[in-house]
Amino acid sequence: MLRRALRRHPRRLAASVLLLSLHQTCEALVPVAIGLTIDRAVATGEVPALVVCLLGTGLLFVVLSQAYRFGARAVVAAWWEETHLLRVELTERVLDPRGLADPPATGELLSTATSDADRVGRVIEAASLVVAGTTAVVVAAVSLLLVHVPLGLAVLVGAPLLVAAIQLLAPLLTRRTATQQEDVARTAGMATDLVRGVRALRGIGAEDAATERYRRTSRTALASTLHAARAVGVYRGVTTLGSGLFLTGVAGFAGALAFDGELSIGDLVTVVGLAQFLAEPIGLLGFAGQKYAEAKASAARIAEVLGRPLLTSRGGGGSPAGEGRLELRDVTARSLAGVSLTAAPGEFVGVVAPDPRDAEALVTVLAGRLPAAEVGGAVLVDGADVSGLDPAATRRAVLVEPHAVVLFEGTLRTAVDPDGAAPDDRFLAAVRAAGADDVLTGHPDGERRAVGDGGRTLSGGQRQRIALARALLADPPVLVLHDPTTAVDAVTEEAIAAGIARLRAGRTTVLVTSSPALLGRCGRVLLLDGGRVAAEGTHAELSAADAYRTAVLR
Amino acid sequence: MTVEATAETAAEAVVVEPPAGAGPGDLLPTAAGRRAARVVGRYARERPGLAVTALVVSVASAAAGLIAPAVLGRLVDAVSGGGSIGGYLLALAGAAVLAAVLTGLSAVAISRLGETVLARLREAVVARVLHLRTATLDRVRSGDLLSRVGDDVARVSESVTTGLPEVIGASLAVLLTMLGLGVLDWRLAVAGLLALPAYVLALRWYLPRSAPVYARERIAVAERADGLLGAVDGADTIRAYARSGPHAAEVERRSAAARDVGIGVFRLYTDFGWRMNRSEYIGLAAVLGVGFVLARTGSASVGEVTTAALLFHRLFGPLGTLLFSFDEVQAAGAALVRLVGVVDLPDPETPPQRPAPGTRPGVELRGIGHRYGDGYPVLSDVDLRIAPGERVALVGASGAGKTTLAAVLAGALEPAGGEVLVDGVPAAALPGRGLRDVVALVSQEVHVFAGTLADDVRLARSAATDDEVAAALERVGARWVQALPEGTATRVGEGGTALTPAQAQQLALARLVLADPPVAVLDEATAEAGSSGARDLEEAAFAATAGRTTLVVAHRLTQAVRADRVVVLDAGRVVEEGTHAELVAAGGRYAALWAAWQGRDR
Repeated sequence: MLRRALRRHPRRLAASVLLLSLHQTCEALVPVAIGLTIDRAVATGEVPALVVCLLGTGLLFVVLSQAYRFGARAVVAAWWEETHLLRVELTERVLDPRGLADPPATGELLSTATSDADRVGRVIEAASLVVAGTTAVVVAAVSLLLVHVPLGLAVLVGAPLLVAAIQLLAPLLTRRTATQQEDVARTAGMATDLVRGVRALRGIGAEDAATERYRRTSRTALASTLHAARAVGVYRGVTTLGSGLFLTGVAGFAGALAFDGELSIGDLVTVVGLAQFLAEPIGLLGFAGQKYAEAKASAARIAEVLGRPLLTSRGGGGSPAGEGRLELRDVTARSLAGVSLTAAPGEFVGVVAPDPRDAEALVTVLAGRLPAAEVGGAVLVDGADVSGLDPAATRRAVLVEPHAVVLFEGTLRTAVDPDGAAPDDRFLAAVRAAGADDVLTGHPDGERRAVGDGGRTLSGGQRQRIALARALLADPPVLVLHDPTTAVDAVTEEAIAAGIARLRAGRTTVLVTSSPALLGRCGRVLLLDGGRVAAEGTHAELSAADAYRTAVLR
Repeated sequence: MTVEATAETAAEAVVVEPPAGAGPGDLLPTAAGRRAARVVGRYARERPGLAVTALVVSVASAAAGLIAPAVLGRLVDAVSGGGSIGGYLLALAGAAVLAAVLTGLSAVAISRLGETVLARLREAVVARVLHLRTATLDRVRSGDLLSRVGDDVARVSESVTTGLPEVIGASLAVLLTMLGLGVLDWRLAVAGLLALPAYVLALRWYLPRSAPVYARERIAVAERADGLLGAVDGADTIRAYARSGPHAAEVERRSAAARDVGIGVFRLYTDFGWRMNRSEYIGLAAVLGVGFVLARTGSASVGEVTTAALLFHRLFGPLGTLLFSFDEVQAAGAALVRLVGVVDLPDPETPPQRPAPGTRPGVELRGIGHRYGDGYPVLSDVDLRIAPGERVALVGASGAGKTTLAAVLAGALEPAGGEVLVDGVPAAALPGRGLRDVVALVSQEVHVFAGTLADDVRLARSAATDDEVAAALERVGARWVQALPEGTATRVGEGGTALTPAQAQQLALARLVLADPPVAVLDEATAEAGSSGARDLEEAAFAATAGRTTLVVAHRLTQAVRADRVVVLDAGRVVEEGTHAELVAAGGRYAALWAAWQGRDR
């Protein structure tokens, strides 16, 4: 994943490597320029020499600053772009029409898509810095070679050895930062989780208990952060020690040479200046190492999410073609122990499941939310087995409105009609059939009334009816509704049953419910018991049986 | 300085409107920079030992860094003068060891201080958010809340962990180097200071431009978080409607917008960068020029000029670090003022003062009227009395005001008119947190908290024993718990075993049992369950509220039948009131409802 991050932005990476190396080269030449100035101007006292030296140094600074300006821009642009691409990839994975077998928790995904993506993006910065830092070391070494060959060679050999020695500490750093990142992520996850449940907490006055619980987790994270900080301290200390001793060695070598008259004072200044400067690119290399370690830990987390198995590996496939025939053949899944049922085109079928697990399992199978391996038997749409169909096309043919209602942010109009394609009369008909007129008319903004994230601005009953209106407006060949009226009062429920019957006339509709108002409108009702179809008939016929009566009539 | 500059444009402790098109809801306030600095300072002073250690070790480490260039200057003079250099080399090596030890120690000390303060801050933020009033929660965008406790905390902690030690080290190095330059020769120090006006110019160019773009970046990031959240939470629905494409595209659009703003921020920053380089050059040229004159007139040695030039050159590193961390520091500052803004929200809440267990007060709603904003009245002149231990069912069509009335009784909503009395005492005169200490509310907003099932239930009473937790679950008939792989130790919520809505609601009722409030309000507590699970939940709710003074918002008339008394609400007014039998006999609105319900039983 890190390698891909580097390969994905060839032009920006090339530009940044080039320009940042140029920048580092110029930085390396600054001590050379200072040495020259001391040697040619300060030591001699010649004014023209001073002017030339200062102008040259000025030019060096212009190149240096502009190279950084554009080089760094290229790095950051690539970094943001990579982060963005990773986020898009993660989103697409989570929203993959084929479904995720083990979807990540919301807080976890949020942290992966922000912090982790950011850290992986930083690998581009790290790579540029490695190249630029190496270039600086090379330029400094070449300058040194020009001054004195053995001295230059000593630096050329010594500097990489130093970096290599420092890198020996990297695994310790990686290990501790990984633990620390995990603990900090857990703290963040808990904060998000508690804030999402804040209403439930306040309802029972549990905000103090929750605060205390968060405090304990936060303290654990603090402890492991401090543990990691000690490793960072050692790392920084060793880096400082390495570059300091290196400087001492170079100064001793060069000082001895100058003492013997082999180097001028200016050369000595240049050598010492370069040796001092070398601490910076070496430090950069260390910094890049640290970022790389973080990026690696984050890349593993992203790869883990992206690698989670899909419910079905099949993409493409055909689309169901027909008027909406739904057929289940001996389906086993979770609590279902061999359910067979058929809904002919245009038929209204009711399904009553006294055991809520049966209802849930049936709806989950129909919605294609179970891994293929966990579903036995066959589900057919218009005669074709869904395992061979394109998942998105199947969803368009068979719409299962989840019982746990999720409305999307926007207005009432866009919540009911996400495509924005429906004409006013169809929109209003759907809203009316779902008994949701009052949600529109009871608010000054009407259909432009804002729907907050999660539909929070609406009551539970309103949300349920708006979701029903959305399902009705979508007008799929097969519509499966699961308990669509549980949050609705008895009078409204009766009206909704009539509305569904009106709008879905001639369209295949499966109602998984125990509401007599809805079941009364079904041409055929199936009673599930022990994961199988135990009885079949009209609502009136089945009402004679005790099992059915206790399940439905209250 | 950074932090304050950022906040000059930030609004002071007001809930600010988001820009047009940002979606509904307000944003929480942002603190002024000065205020943020004060709050952080206060946290730091709580650990005086840590703060002093960090300061001393950091100054010492910066000072140790100065030894090497000073020794190098002497070494140059010694070489020109033909003296021995062995002593200087020993001094260099010693300085390296000293600097190494002090650098490591200061990194640890600064982290200790910074991370401890950060932990305090994030705990304060979460505590404050969890104690926000329901009215505020309703108004504020949940994305804003989540990005405060998530993204903003992450941003600040990132900069505390990696940026803070470097920034402090660099600042001290700059300060001490200038000091060293002054000790060497004050004229050379003055020459170096010529760079100062150029630095000031660069900062004055940058700061006014950067504050608004950083603010824009924060907003773009918050919108991105909102988009991601919506997509992840609604993934099943999105797939059901085969709308993965448009939703992914929306997330992509928001992420791209955040990216573009972010890149723009950095462009500005690099424009600032070359102005900083210009200042460096001015300083270096001035030191060399003045040194040239001094050396020519013989008032300074070449070695001294060398030392001065090397010292000044040494500044580039720390100055670069400061520059390099500047945008990080500023971004962290922008996040910090958002955190302190939350911490500083007025906290009207006093510690809870719960009545003795077993208390069963009578409650009275007197002349309650309410409307949301400028909207039509949701409740008008509602009078309702619930006797101690009595169970009252609230019946009415959607939009009749049932939820609003429940929220008023639970103390979650301050009504526009009228008052609530508990045993004759007005809510305003109650001790502790007022109504909220007396009344518990279980709404349909179910949430299963991540962690073990026992921990979830225990939120209601931290001290509860395992047996008490088990008893609470037993009371609400949550027999499915025993079937879980690890019983009450099973991890539920995010990342754990998924519970059905009915199970989640049962968990909420178990929390209610453990909390044992004198008065309970159940608002559509069974609405999210499938109709088959609803009956179990109805039993659970009945058991959980047995003996309590209770108001039940009833959607199922069976709940009304079992209540001691039924109140029918229509368009915000009480239209009927009495026992089930009385109301059926009266032949009014409730009787009609009952008939419709019974009518199914043909």
